[in-house]
Amino acid sequence: MTVMPDRSAHPTAFILRVFMVWRGLFALLALVAVLGLWIVPGLGASPWQKIVLSMALCIAALFSLLGLFDIAKRLHRGRTISLILDYLAFVACLVIVLNTGGVFTGIDALADTFGRGILYLGIIVAGYLLGSLSDRYSHRPATERWLGSVSKWIMIAGAVLFVWKIDAVNGLLFFLRNLLQPAGWIAVTGIILFGLSLWGMWHETTASRLQVKTHHEAMLNGWLFLSPNLIGFLIFFAGPLLLSFFFSFTDSDAFNPPNWVGFENYAKIFNIRFTGLASPDQLAREVVDTKIYDEVGRLRLGNGGILFAAADPFFWLALRNTLTFALFTVPLSVLPALILANILNSKLPGMKFFRAVYFIPSIAAIVGIALVWQWLYNATIGYINYFITQGVEFLNTTFQAGLVDPKIQWVSDERTALMSVIIIAAWQTMGFNTVLFLAGLQNIPPELYEAATVDGAGAWARFWNITIPMLAPSTFYVVSTTTIQAMQVFEQVFILMNPAEGPNNSTITLVLYLYRKGFINFQQGYASAIAWVLFIVIFGLTLIQFQRQRRSSIYES
Amino acid sequence: MKDSLLFKALSLFVVAAFALAACGTPAPTEAPAATEVPATEAAMTEAPMEEISLRWRTRPDNQEEIDVYSQISETLDAELEGIALTYEPGGTEGTNYQEQLRAEVAAGTAPDVFWIPGTDVADFANRGLILNIADLAGGTEGFDVDAFYPGPMYHLTYNPETDATGADSGALWGLPRDVSTFALYLNLDLIEEAGAPDPRELAASGEWNWDTFLEVAQKTRALGSDIYGYGASAWWGPYGVWLNAAGGGFFNAERNACALNTPGSLEGLEFQRSLYQDYDVATPYGEDPEPPFRAGKVAMFQNGRWATPGVRTVEFNWDVVELPKGPSGTMGNWLFWGAYVINAKTEQPEAAWKLMQALTTANTQGEIAALGANIPSRVSQEAFDAFLTFTPPANNQAFLNGLADSPATEGPLWAGSWPEYDKIMGPAIQAVLTGGSTVEDFGATICDEAGKVFTN
Repeated sequence: MTVMPDRSAHPTAFILRVFMVWRGLFALLALVAVLGLWIVPGLGASPWQKIVLSMALCIAALFSLLGLFDIAKRLHRGRTISLILDYLAFVACLVIVLNTGGVFTGIDALADTFGRGILYLGIIVAGYLLGSLSDRYSHRPATERWLGSVSKWIMIAGAVLFVWKIDAVNGLLFFLRNLLQPAGWIAVTGIILFGLSLWGMWHETTASRLQVKTHHEAMLNGWLFLSPNLIGFLIFFAGPLLLSFFFSFTDSDAFNPPNWVGFENYAKIFNIRFTGLASPDQLAREVVDTKIYDEVGRLRLGNGGILFAAADPFFWLALRNTLTFALFTVPLSVLPALILANILNSKLPGMKFFRAVYFIPSIAAIVGIALVWQWLYNATIGYINYFITQGVEFLNTTFQAGLVDPKIQWVSDERTALMSVIIIAAWQTMGFNTVLFLAGLQNIPPELYEAATVDGAGAWARFWNITIPMLAPSTFYVVSTTTIQAMQVFEQVFILMNPAEGPNNSTITLVLYLYRKGFINFQQGYASAIAWVLFIVIFGLTLIQFQRQRRSSIYES
Repeated sequence: MKDSLLFKALSLFVVAAFALAACGTPAPTEAPAATEVPATEAAMTEAPMEEISLRWRTRPDNQEEIDVYSQISETLDAELEGIALTYEPGGTEGTNYQEQLRAEVAAGTAPDVFWIPGTDVADFANRGLILNIADLAGGTEGFDVDAFYPGPMYHLTYNPETDATGADSGALWGLPRDVSTFALYLNLDLIEEAGAPDPRELAASGEWNWDTFLEVAQKTRALGSDIYGYGASAWWGPYGVWLNAAGGGFFNAERNACALNTPGSLEGLEFQRSLYQDYDVATPYGEDPEPPFRAGKVAMFQNGRWATPGVRTVEFNWDVVELPKGPSGTMGNWLFWGAYVINAKTEQPEAAWKLMQALTTANTQGEIAALGANIPSRVSQEAFDAFLTFTPPANNQAFLNGLADSPATEGPLWAGSWPEYDKIMGPAIQAVLTGGSTVEDFGATICDEAGKVFTN
């Protein structure tokens, strides 16, 4: 490894001393902020918010002190810590500035703003395109210069018109006026200080004094490029994930501070009873305490049976429906997709058109799809029943078949409601799965088929012995993702069914149930517990699929 | 390109300009105004220092209502000195007005004044999400609780700490925006074609009851396999009237225990079951009956006043009639209502109270009722007379008859959770009406399950 050259030792030594003071000041300010959080009244933060913020600030203070000592010892770790802390603080200050300036609260207005400014933005782009033409006239310098000049003025004119049209000057004034409050100017000061600190510490001479090697630089660059995604992941995914895990142990209702209830939510979910029945129709209240339990279902066995009761019957109904949904949806959207992919993989004319046609349901908006199906399924005026009626009448008239029009109540009969949702889901997912299988099919070396054909293998033998095994990775991916998707079914049910739970709760699913608990009944603690149970179920199923894949994979063997 | 630096600078400039242009827009969900004003320009308009800004929201059912509420907001903005109003349509039934509102309440970004359905009042009050404005109302000259329908005011003045209700209860959670009841929308062409008696004439002669209702339904059903005598949606309102009309109901008189297994409730449920299962006169339970009614295939369609604007577009002869009287001698109708309430986190409770009063004056309510979707919540002959002029339907009196027939008030459950109760009751009743369960089984088990939602 090469050490970066030391070009100016003396000023850098001074800068490093400044950085040591800065790190100490940083730690002190962080600790003062912690004290302020708990002492200053009227901050409006809830206790748990204060706890989380205090922990973050204490950790920052601790690392800042560590950085101080490392810089004193001229260790590169001091620089790394310094850069990370200052970078995070810089981003935080930037967010506060944007928030104080009203950028986030007005974000919805961008649609309107964009609409007004788009034409003039187009002028800028046109100017740029015109300028790019100048490169073609390198052999005629005068023309090249003229085009470059014209393009520049067009772009400037477009920018001026754009600024005028979107009223950006007033926006700037408003933004600056909003910043004239403590939070605003403190954050602006923070941006300047942390920015200067970043610049100073990032500087090559500082790096060389702290024994920074090229691989340290490479690592920092890597983290820097990762940081937008990483920060987003931590704030918008990992944070809520941990928060929901915490909420699952509380009675959170989203409005009031949550109280810790331990495993109470999970205990309620898993509080179930299996009890023998003296007769198949024996009432539940005669065998279980109906103040606690409600019947979920019963298994009739001869003159008796077994009653399944639960403290939260809806969770178990939802789990049953979700598993049933997945059990039917996965094969119905995978097997036809496999067959379809094989057909579309042929060299017949028009195949590209059909590939697009089958893919359309996957990209169509689910709300539109569900509403269209709602009309199709309508028992009184829907097209599906209309065609069934027409078919029955035709058969009865032509062949005296004596058929009875079934008049299926697709979405209002508990026997068919879930199947109606399954049909939509399978229809919608099949196209996407087909494309995945197609990609897999096109990766199978044609030599294998040629060799098999020479060996006398028929179409079925080639499909069974070459296509299916060689498609194993694609099949695994398709089955896994379709299963996960099926376990999370929500939109189709939510829009298609009215009420969403369907007749006699026949379409209540786990995600729908946790939505109802969390956002209608506002039992967010309980809803979080359901979400974590659902996660465990999906994780378990995926794990099983992984293990089966490992055992059966041709690539492993 | 040689000017790539310029282009990069311009790109950055454009991004910054977009961000700046997003600034200072106080209400991104603001309804379309009569004259479009650029967002930033509006934001830059200097308001007098003493002017108070208030946001308010109510659930409209269509664009026409949004326009009327926007107009009302502009009018009140001019009338209420020192108060600047911003109206937000919120959502519609399809876009989950309640869920969106609750999420905003939880996030602390809900408007100062907003509308909630009557069933939600207890939940909002018990959670401390809305202001008790009894003190503000007490200090307001001329304000009279009795100017509104007593049913909604019973719940809006209910004090959960003392169980007292009325003007002196020490509680006032809001003011009702409007009221509504069910009626039967009639396809007069189908009824005439079937040779069935005219329900309006039967009602006028006091013969409009379950028997004559069934007779009309059966005669019209006989017109064809795709023609139905009766249609109703699958929620608590439509099925509840049959239970009420038979002397039953959802709760006991104190609304703190389940009454779904009482003889009256079971009798009402049995009659309704027979409409679906035995006589086969009704559109399949769970299917939306409005499309077939509008397609001219349903003779009697049970719905509230809110369905009137939609029905006005049909091409057949239609009118309305009140619900038939049941064994108890009443229609068993509901008094539907919703209320304007004040956000507990508002910084301007006095101004919000002024706005709430302005939103519920006879004049304001009359402007909204003229659309035909609802009935003013103030009890006054003037309001009745005005309502009768909002035709079609010609027989607007049917709705007023519904209001005069001691309807059961849609209301919150102060002693339990209404959403939980509804979630248990709805599927169980649906199972009976679709033949998946019997009335006897329903009666034997329903209160074991539904009774759990009561906290007292």
